[in-house]
Amino acid sequence: MKAKDIMIPFQDYLKPENTLREAVNLLKGAVRGEAKVGVMGLPVLDDKGKLVGMLSMTDILRAVHPSYMDMMNLGDFTWDGMLESFAKQARDKKVKELMTRTVITVHEDDPLMECVDRILKNRVRRMPVLDKAGRVVGMVYLRDIFFAITKAMLEEK
Amino acid sequence: MTQEIAGTSGEIVMGPTFWIATLIFILAYTLIIYEKIHKTIIAIFGAALLIVLGIVTQEEAFNSLELGIDWNVIFLLVSMMVIINIMKPTGCFEYLAIKSAKIAKGEPFMIMAIFSTVTAVVSAFLDNVTTVLLIAPVTLLICQALELDVVPFLITEALASNIGGTATLIGDPPNIMIGSKAQLGFMPFVYHLTPVIIVVLIVYIISIKFIFGRKMVVKEELRRRVMAMKEKEAIKDPPLLKKSLIVLAVTITGFVIHGMLDLQPATIALFGAGLLLLVSGIKEPHHILAEAEWSSLFFFMGLFIIIGAVVKVGLIKWMSIKVLELTHGNLFGTSMIVMWFSAFASAFIDNIPYVATMNPLIIDMAKQLWPNLSGIDLLHHPDLMPMWWSLALGACLGGNGTAIGASANVIVVGMAEKMGKPISFKKFMLYGMPLMIESVIICMIYVWLRYYVLMV
Repeated sequence: MKAKDIMIPFQDYLKPENTLREAVNLLKGAVRGEAKVGVMGLPVLDDKGKLVGMLSMTDILRAVHPSYMDMMNLGDFTWDGMLESFAKQARDKKVKELMTRTVITVHEDDPLMECVDRILKNRVRRMPVLDKAGRVVGMVYLRDIFFAITKAMLEEK
Repeated sequence: MTQEIAGTSGEIVMGPTFWIATLIFILAYTLIIYEKIHKTIIAIFGAALLIVLGIVTQEEAFNSLELGIDWNVIFLLVSMMVIINIMKPTGCFEYLAIKSAKIAKGEPFMIMAIFSTVTAVVSAFLDNVTTVLLIAPVTLLICQALELDVVPFLITEALASNIGGTATLIGDPPNIMIGSKAQLGFMPFVYHLTPVIIVVLIVYIISIKFIFGRKMVVKEELRRRVMAMKEKEAIKDPPLLKKSLIVLAVTITGFVIHGMLDLQPATIALFGAGLLLLVSGIKEPHHILAEAEWSSLFFFMGLFIIIGAVVKVGLIKWMSIKVLELTHGNLFGTSMIVMWFSAFASAFIDNIPYVATMNPLIIDMAKQLWPNLSGIDLLHHPDLMPMWWSLALGACLGGNGTAIGASANVIVVGMAEKMGKPISFKKFMLYGMPLMIESVIICMIYVWLRYYVLMV
């Protein structure tokens, strides 16, 4: 199987100028497969439809986590309500400020092993799938690759 | 106090070697000031170029005490970095800061005063940047818990770290460099600098009370957030903390008595680092060693070679003669000029290359003044001693003048920017410059009173 056989066709995306508030709303209501179940990350496309980044839930977690907490072990000293007030402060930030700019992608004709290789080496959970022209045509999710693996393992001879 | 100036500039040969070395020196310093290329890259390339051109030999650059890399400085710095890198994950610094905030009962100015004092005291033993990197994150957390503006806290801590760092031999790199070149140990710095720094710190705390103290108020419910923090939870590795504190105590005791043991401070620090590595039970020292500030260490090494070259060709000697001509050999005048010039120079340029240049310059000046003396008699001539202290006080405290004057300042400005509270160059200077001038005035009175009036 190839990437295009398991990918979810491309539908929702973010723009660099979107605010985080708009972004989380879109993530929450994004379509995956048949249902509007929400997704944990979306590609960011510019006006010309070019892929410029990915915004995942980890990026949003990072947006509300103050940078000084990365410098020392301060988790024990946080307070109830801290997260909520940081989330409110962060909601007007732009997607372009927080997105991951180096996007790990696969080509639609790449074999699934290549997808697994990229996922493991880059620690991502989802990757945009590009066609020959470099346009985003879908998304490959860790879960769908896992289903492909289980299918292969459970298949009778 | 006016001395006869012996020796003439006639001995300096201003040939091609002189001019090439001078040109490379000026070019390197200019590039360091402009910061377009990283200073470490300039120092390494400049040093290598000087060896390639044969202005200094490799032997001189690597092994000469007078012209080469000052391994005292390198080993002292790297050893202290190793000790701190082992101590950091134990959580002792988080504990110290949270405890301080609770002692202050969440009262804003008390927090500012205690944090500044803690920063100054810790800075006297650790590198200033390290101290600020350990205290500032907790400060930011406390300020956000209390919904206070972080900027005054960050500025006052950076300034306090530069003040505290001035107090001891190991507190700030300029002192380490002066201590090594002038062969002054840990205790002379304590005798001569710590008393005035205590006064400077007290006056500083009173000053920040007037500048910031009156504007800060905190609601009772927010104060409860701080009082609810359990500082004991910060301690992640009690056995390692215990070992680290014992080794640190051994090391500091070693610094105090290194003169009696006839050992250099670098040896004491290296022993401390080696001992802590041994007892900490660390199996693979790679990450502890890799986390040392190699970029700064290579900057020092390159710089020492560049300075060695201009000492060798006679540029520094020429400069020292000019300084003495300017001051007519008046030593009190010279030390005051050294102090104030150092302060303003350090406010705008890195005090490390500055002190690296001033050290040989002062030694050359001494050679002009007392041509019959050499070695320790020359370096520790009673009339020369105030010069070393003036250099140390001026160069260390001068860093407080501007946002770029000291690495600790650069760090807090960067942190404030990340918090969305940028501190402009002007804003920092508005607080830093008057406080710097205030501290140098205190030091000036101290040097005058202690070495020229009371003569103790």
